[in-house]
Amino acid sequence: MFQYAFMQNALMASVLISILFPIVGVFLVLKRYSMMGDTLSHASFAGVAIGLVLGFNPILCAFAFTAICGLSIEFLRDYYKKYAELILSILLTFSVGVGITLVSTGKAGANVNSYLFGSILTVTKSDLYIMLILSIISIITLYSLYNQLLYITFDEEGAKVSGVKVKVINYVFALLVGATISASLRILGILVMSSMIALPVATALQLNKGFKHTLIYSIMFGFIDIILGLIISYYINCAPGGTIALTSVFVLVLIIGSKRALSRA
Amino acid sequence: MINIKNLCFTYTNSKPYLLDKVNLKIEKGSYVSILGENGSAKSTLVKLILNLLKPNSGEILISTSKMAYVAQKVENFNAQFPITVYEMLNCHRKVLKLKDKNLILKSLQAVGMEGHTHTLIGNLSGGQQQKIFIARSLIGDPELLILDEPSTGVDIQSMEDIYGIIKGLNKNLGITVVSVEHNLKAALDNSTDIFEMSSGSGILYTINDYKNKLKEERG
Repeated sequence: MFQYAFMQNALMASVLISILFPIVGVFLVLKRYSMMGDTLSHASFAGVAIGLVLGFNPILCAFAFTAICGLSIEFLRDYYKKYAELILSILLTFSVGVGITLVSTGKAGANVNSYLFGSILTVTKSDLYIMLILSIISIITLYSLYNQLLYITFDEEGAKVSGVKVKVINYVFALLVGATISASLRILGILVMSSMIALPVATALQLNKGFKHTLIYSIMFGFIDIILGLIISYYINCAPGGTIALTSVFVLVLIIGSKRALSRA
Repeated sequence: MINIKNLCFTYTNSKPYLLDKVNLKIEKGSYVSILGENGSAKSTLVKLILNLLKPNSGEILISTSKMAYVAQKVENFNAQFPITVYEMLNCHRKVLKLKDKNLILKSLQAVGMEGHTHTLIGNLSGGQQQKIFIARSLIGDPELLILDEPSTGVDIQSMEDIYGIIKGLNKNLGITVVSVEHNLKAALDNSTDIFEMSSGSGILYTINDYKNKLKEERG
């Protein structure tokens, strides 16, 4: 199946996002902020709709819109303080409003479904280059901010006292989440994006390891979920978003089941 | 070490102030326990000293930047958080840009927890976790150690160990200690001074003056 150019593109894109997603996901889940992924994936829907209606590159528009929403979440987090998740609901509502309004005008074209459910047929070379650039920038940034991010995730007050520029790093991280989501739009689709932030991490957490190992296992499970889901979608001729989501749930259940069986043995 | 002048603070940006013209001078090498009823803004005062909150007016002058903090409750930490003792301490070391990896073992030895380097923090008891947080605060050789109720949720044996460690750091290493306390006995046994807070302000006593005051009050 990999003799086809579209499958080669899809595979390369999948490898990139299977590394990127769990790295971002592990910080979001442990900060109890996985809902941010949901909000920003809906923001990417609005971005795609704007791009399609105005005739710009939908992935770049999605990045611009998710970046604005990500930065707004961080900016408004202090405003609501103890009810920070309200900001996520507000921005999610706004994004869905923009997206649905634009798509329902009919000016976005029939192409919208491929962004909602993911499509391996539509990943072009130029999409791949955009994804590659966004992924490389994100991975380098995450690598260089690793300790600060871990500190903030575990103990935000302690990080501030130790001199970490918490606000700046939270803004950078919000941009990275936006970049990750935009880079993954074509393959995963908007609807399953947030599950890919949480599921590989949820699976890795079952193994009760330290942070570094949890991160490595999250990447491993993310890779299995996405590649297996992609291959299955090719053979049963359906959108990869659905099969990737189902694979991730299956792998999680398998790990929970194996863990229980081993503890009884 | 710390000089607080006419400090006023409110969370709501409107009067009455939660802290109203607080004045406090803490000398280098002292061990000051902050006592007071619930809601007397003890933890708020500590957060202002740590620059986690901004005062409405007044000033806080601190003569060192080598400051460490052990919180009452670490914000996002729970028993399932996947982090080992080594990972947490190493992360702190790297954030402080310290190159010597031996600092981790040294700080664990200082609190008697060197046998738990690769244990998940969630698998430790409350008392052991608190010792690990104290060990983390020691990386970087702090001159000022600020603690917020260090014995909350800790068993009696660990409590004795923890106060022994803190007193040792103060006496042997000369680290200035400021500790919010709900444990009066620990405060009387270990402190050199007591800052008693009520109605948005407070009075600093030497430990002997405070003990005499308690005797008089109790007849």
